[in-house]
Amino acid sequence: MSQTTATGERRRTLGGVLREHLSDLVSQLAAAGALIAVFVFLSIASPNFLTADNLFNVGTQTAVTAVIAIGMTLVIITAGIDLSVGSVAALSGVMGVMMMVDLGLPVLVAILGGTLVGALCGLVNGLLISVAGLNPFIATLGMLSVARGLVYIVSDAQAVFGTPDSFRLLGQGVLAGGIPIPVVVILVVAVAGYVVLSRTKLGRYAYAIGSNMEAARLSGIPIRRYLTAVYVISGALAGFGGMIASSRVASGQPNFGMGLELDVIAAAVIGGASLFGGQGTVVGTLIGAFLIALIRNGAVLLDVNIFYQQVIIGVVIWLAVMWDQYRRRRLAAASE
Amino acid sequence: MCWRRILVLLVAAVAALALAACAEVREQGGGQQGGGEGRQGPIELAVVPKAVGFDFWETVRQGAVCAARRAEGEVDVQWDGVAQETDVTGQVNLLQNFITQGVDGLVYAATDAKVLHDVTQQALDQGITVVNIDSGTDPQPENVPVFATDNVAAAERATEYLVEQLGEDGGKVAFIPFQPGTATNDTRTEGFKNVLKENPQVKLVAEQSSESNYNRALQVTEDILTAHPDLDAIYAANEPGVLGAAEAVRSAGKAGEIIIVGWDTAPDELKAVREGVVSALIAQNPFRMGYDGVNAAVKMIRTGEQVEGGDTGAILVTRENIDDPEVQRVLNPSCKNPPVEGQ
Repeated sequence: MSQTTATGERRRTLGGVLREHLSDLVSQLAAAGALIAVFVFLSIASPNFLTADNLFNVGTQTAVTAVIAIGMTLVIITAGIDLSVGSVAALSGVMGVMMMVDLGLPVLVAILGGTLVGALCGLVNGLLISVAGLNPFIATLGMLSVARGLVYIVSDAQAVFGTPDSFRLLGQGVLAGGIPIPVVVILVVAVAGYVVLSRTKLGRYAYAIGSNMEAARLSGIPIRRYLTAVYVISGALAGFGGMIASSRVASGQPNFGMGLELDVIAAAVIGGASLFGGQGTVVGTLIGAFLIALIRNGAVLLDVNIFYQQVIIGVVIWLAVMWDQYRRRRLAAASE
Repeated sequence: MCWRRILVLLVAAVAALALAACAEVREQGGGQQGGGEGRQGPIELAVVPKAVGFDFWETVRQGAVCAARRAEGEVDVQWDGVAQETDVTGQVNLLQNFITQGVDGLVYAATDAKVLHDVTQQALDQGITVVNIDSGTDPQPENVPVFATDNVAAAERATEYLVEQLGEDGGKVAFIPFQPGTATNDTRTEGFKNVLKENPQVKLVAEQSSESNYNRALQVTEDILTAHPDLDAIYAANEPGVLGAAEAVRSAGKAGEIIIVGWDTAPDELKAVREGVVSALIAQNPFRMGYDGVNAAVKMIRTGEQVEGGDTGAILVTRENIDDPEVQRVLNPSCKNPPVEGQ
């Protein structure tokens, strides 16, 4: 806890800025190290792991978590949290599918429509936080319940089947060379996320708001507007992730995404995002998302008892964050 | 979840206040039950599935509503359920809410046999008639009938079919359970493994849970196919598992090569049977569970007599028999021609 204030004060010096960048790099290295270790272990332990088919599978399986986690990273950087992403993904996924099945809208329009539903949920989150002044935890906890309720209402709690075949492309399609479309989607969203975070006002302000909200306000950043925008982006990506998930199973599943928020937050945190705000990168989050997907994939390949898989993922979260904090503390000590 | 609990508590509190006045009357009404004296007038029943959001439970609802409509006198069915079959606490709260409301009868499927026994007892103590459908409690009180599928027997039949299809040489089979530790999951596992034990030529090479989630089932099956490229068969213990397995096998280009046998009969599962991707489905009779459950509750409340529970039956749906009228009556039940006995 005391670290955050220390970080806030240090920020103003040039050395502080340098250390910030260094510590981001270090936490990415820690997560990347774990990723490589798991990768090497699985390559040795399972003869079927290191095949193009399997690696593409892992990529496809990561897509939903990774896409949503990139939005979550942006939120966490502002010292916020979005607990509603799983429910919002389900609502968007089901409504997007209903747009094509019941309204007969073209697939692309429906995918966009589903994403917009997510953005709308994000807008409500953002307004509740920035205008009504609710704590992000509470605002999005409410949305977790509201969106889940809405998805049951619109679908009458029934899965929606009957999507056009072309809809399968988003989650199941393959480009020349065997590269799955979901993997391309991850790359596109990641590059966009990277550009937003490092090259736009929104990105810089997000770091500023998360590092020190008061200082950001005093320096004239229109906090309400940017904070709202951050939740809209998170909601839109949750919506888009929901469409990918729907495409994977060619249907809208009202039960989708329960507990997904935990995987998504874990991906960001493993990748070095700090829940205290001001820290987090797209690359780190991607590493975190892949690490979780690899562990799940490996657990099935090695037929690990299902009960242990949850334990393993929890322990990895602990280790990643402990390692991260240890490195940060050493870095801070070294600079004093 | 937390939110939902608060909401339930609030509603329960309001209901408790509103009903405080008639609480005495209710107790009197319930007290008559053991004496064999029936009760006339409108009956209010709460029907609670394990979870909402699956075809199976929707069909239970149809059966329950149909029975209520056909019953003599006024029978009102309130249908409500939690979002996830794993949300045991949520179901406990929901049922307690209905008990506080003072419904006449509780027809429900227990998400956890041991935990829910206390709730059944609580309802019985207040003179509320209780009937279990699909899943009972442990222990099962003598005056609470259960209308459910004999899961072990049905799983054995399906696995025997799978073994038959594999032929004398046997092969490698993967198993997709959905929620280890629950009665339904474990009885379906038991029947499956009983038959495997008698047939050592069929080898179980992977066992991975779908967590009752279509997307998860898809991923798990993809990974199993990666680990065992020579897999011969899959046994999936419920709807999301079958759908996920079918989708994974289809996109691996192995449709028809891998035998899939599983539970439940969602529209896309049946489509997969017609396409030959899925070899056989175990069709339970959820309509009859809801129907028999509500009928039993009404009879017990009206006459005060005890009703015996029973096996609601299961059939094996294959490409060959899918259009038989007997099979269709179970698959597409209607209140005009309900798939129940004595019609």
